[in-house]
Amino acid sequence: MFRRIFIASSILLIAAFMLSACGPKATPTEVPAAAGQAANAPEASGDSTPAVTLTMWSRDSDQVLVESLVAAWNASHKNQIEVTIIPASDFVAKFGTAVAGGAAPDIIAIDLVYMPAFNAADQMTDITDMAKALPYFDKLSPSHIRLATYEDKIYALPFSAEASVLIYNKSLFKQAGLDPEKAPSNWDEIYQDAKKITALGDGNYGFYFSGGCAGCNAFTMLPLIWASGGDVLSADYSTATLTDPAVKATLEFYKKMWDEQLIPEGAKVDNGSDFFNAFQTNKIGMLGTGAFAISSLIANHPEIEYGIAPLPGQNGGTSSFAGGDEIGIPKGSKYVNEAFEFITWLYSEDVQLELYAKNSQLPVRTDLVENKYFEANPAMLTVANEMAVGRTPYSVKANELFNDYNGPWETMLQEAIFGGEVDKAINTAQENYTKILSQP
Amino acid sequence: MGNVGTALTNLKTNFKSPSQRRQRLGLFFVLPAVIFTLVFFIIPLLITAWMSLFNWPLLGKHTFIGIENYVNMFSDKQFWSSLWFTTKYTIIVTPCIFILAFILAMLVNLPMRGVSLFRTAYFLPVVIGLGASSLLWVWLLNDRVGIFNRMLMDLQLIKQPVVWLGDINLAMITIVISIVWKTAGFAMILLLTGMQAIPESLYQAAMVDGAGFWAQLRFITLPLLRRTFALTLVISVIGSYLAFDQFYIMTRGGPFNQTITVVYWIYNNSFAYFKMGYGSALSIMLLVVLVLLSGLQLYLLRGEPDI
Repeated sequence: MFRRIFIASSILLIAAFMLSACGPKATPTEVPAAAGQAANAPEASGDSTPAVTLTMWSRDSDQVLVESLVAAWNASHKNQIEVTIIPASDFVAKFGTAVAGGAAPDIIAIDLVYMPAFNAADQMTDITDMAKALPYFDKLSPSHIRLATYEDKIYALPFSAEASVLIYNKSLFKQAGLDPEKAPSNWDEIYQDAKKITALGDGNYGFYFSGGCAGCNAFTMLPLIWASGGDVLSADYSTATLTDPAVKATLEFYKKMWDEQLIPEGAKVDNGSDFFNAFQTNKIGMLGTGAFAISSLIANHPEIEYGIAPLPGQNGGTSSFAGGDEIGIPKGSKYVNEAFEFITWLYSEDVQLELYAKNSQLPVRTDLVENKYFEANPAMLTVANEMAVGRTPYSVKANELFNDYNGPWETMLQEAIFGGEVDKAINTAQENYTKILSQP
Repeated sequence: MGNVGTALTNLKTNFKSPSQRRQRLGLFFVLPAVIFTLVFFIIPLLITAWMSLFNWPLLGKHTFIGIENYVNMFSDKQFWSSLWFTTKYTIIVTPCIFILAFILAMLVNLPMRGVSLFRTAYFLPVVIGLGASSLLWVWLLNDRVGIFNRMLMDLQLIKQPVVWLGDINLAMITIVISIVWKTAGFAMILLLTGMQAIPESLYQAAMVDGAGFWAQLRFITLPLLRRTFALTLVISVIGSYLAFDQFYIMTRGGPFNQTITVVYWIYNNSFAYFKMGYGSALSIMLLVVLVLLSGLQLYLLRGEPDI
């Protein structure tokens, strides 16, 4: 009899254990409310609708910004937002899986290059009318709006802004006998400056790039191609144009610096985790980077003297990759209006200045780029101006074309720069790009 | 009264005879494992097989295309090169694991004091996750901050730090070393249980007949380990064929896409290119390969040795 009770209870315990394993997935990170303020302060007006909790997913590149924004929102609004931070490289897979499983969040902040793919697959809520009703709609970052538009409908709005620029180490410039206020304005100047800095020895190198990071190099190398008058895709983004001479010139430029050891050897296998860390060791002369670098330096390495300049073309000219995140409402969210309230709040002058500009984040409203915080930090102004004129490739295949570690873009870079076979690399990539673009 | 009594007794016996009770009991104890296998293996397997007949993008609608995924697979160069690479990797790593595991098993089989400490130490790497282990090795091998380069330079064995994961041969060697370090303990435990099942009397009888260490090994240990050996081999080979974490984290399929294993390719197709249908077809193909391989191994190692 005891045996039977024992057996029955064991089975019940095991069954309960197994069922609990099928419960809801990991809980999102709790966003700490601003000190001294209650997390659930209701709005002043006698609002009788119940408070709702919205779920938001964001990629980790924006973690600091997102968490400060959500904390400020939660402290002053009835509706609460629970944010989950997801590693950038996993975001698309996780989001796709969640949507497929019917568990998409109410708001997402996602890399703008993925918007066309999401929109083509009908994953986002159409917010055209609400967006166009915003009074400053035409002042919002043009690249973001363009990427969020699909078949004349708008599915997302700018959330965070980024632009690629050249950062250089002023103290290394001084040590190498270069003018720290004169940033290189063409490739030959980059090459000469890098040579002089590497000649300093002691582990100093003139240049750096993450050899194993597809997206990082799309961000920093495409502008070199653009500024030299070429592109990897045709104007309507439907044909591959990797055979453009500017592409070959860019690859050969990097290859020259690699062959002459102006770049540390570890760059070859860096998958992006050192994308900016390398500069923070104070031993790298120049590298392509984004606005995130500035806030990181101000926070972690105020002792490093740096300068920011636009990325130059082969013989002059400049260009930039306008990037950043978009914010949108996945299809199936029950709180479209509440989510849009958050988006509208983000664009208020107060938030754009106090939470973005003050923390060295680019505002997404181009009319607020010239502000008192950026006057004190002109590097931010350079980045902001680059973003306003920057370019962004538009493709539903952006992931495969630019971000895939094993894809044609990254393979071409590796084969050309590290393998030394520039023409073969370009031809292979051109073939593969064409194949990808021809698939539905 | 006798009739009623007998009838009642019969009733009791029919429902509660010891062997029937044991059978039902056994059924209850196996039930969780059966449910687990059903929910986490059988049903997903059937769903995967079903999905492989579709063009099933991660985002959006799916359409039925029959065996087109399987037809496309034959012209997929990367799949075949991944299969070949995974096979090469398995051929290299399996003997390394086995030789080390066998030596370790023999060592910890010795009746010494404190031998369980060694057993635990050798098994410990098995329990850390493969992802964590791979990340650990990435930083140990790093050219700027890694310990290995530092140690080798201090010992004057190399002059410059080596970028271990940047060269295909060095990358393979380091990955094989990291995997052997991580999994030999498990094979060791399996072989150990097999060794401990061999009766001591056999060894004593052999010693009386004048058999030395190598003769005992050849004529007693190895033949009697055949079943255990087969089991360990099958598990190890399957594990190596399913290798993914270490290549995803340590080399990202590089250099030059030379270290993309079959599962890595399935991952890319399913979650990076969003082609779940094609990824499912690749998974089914991998399953077929593994079933054939395991069958072959069990066939070659079949039979009870006669002693």
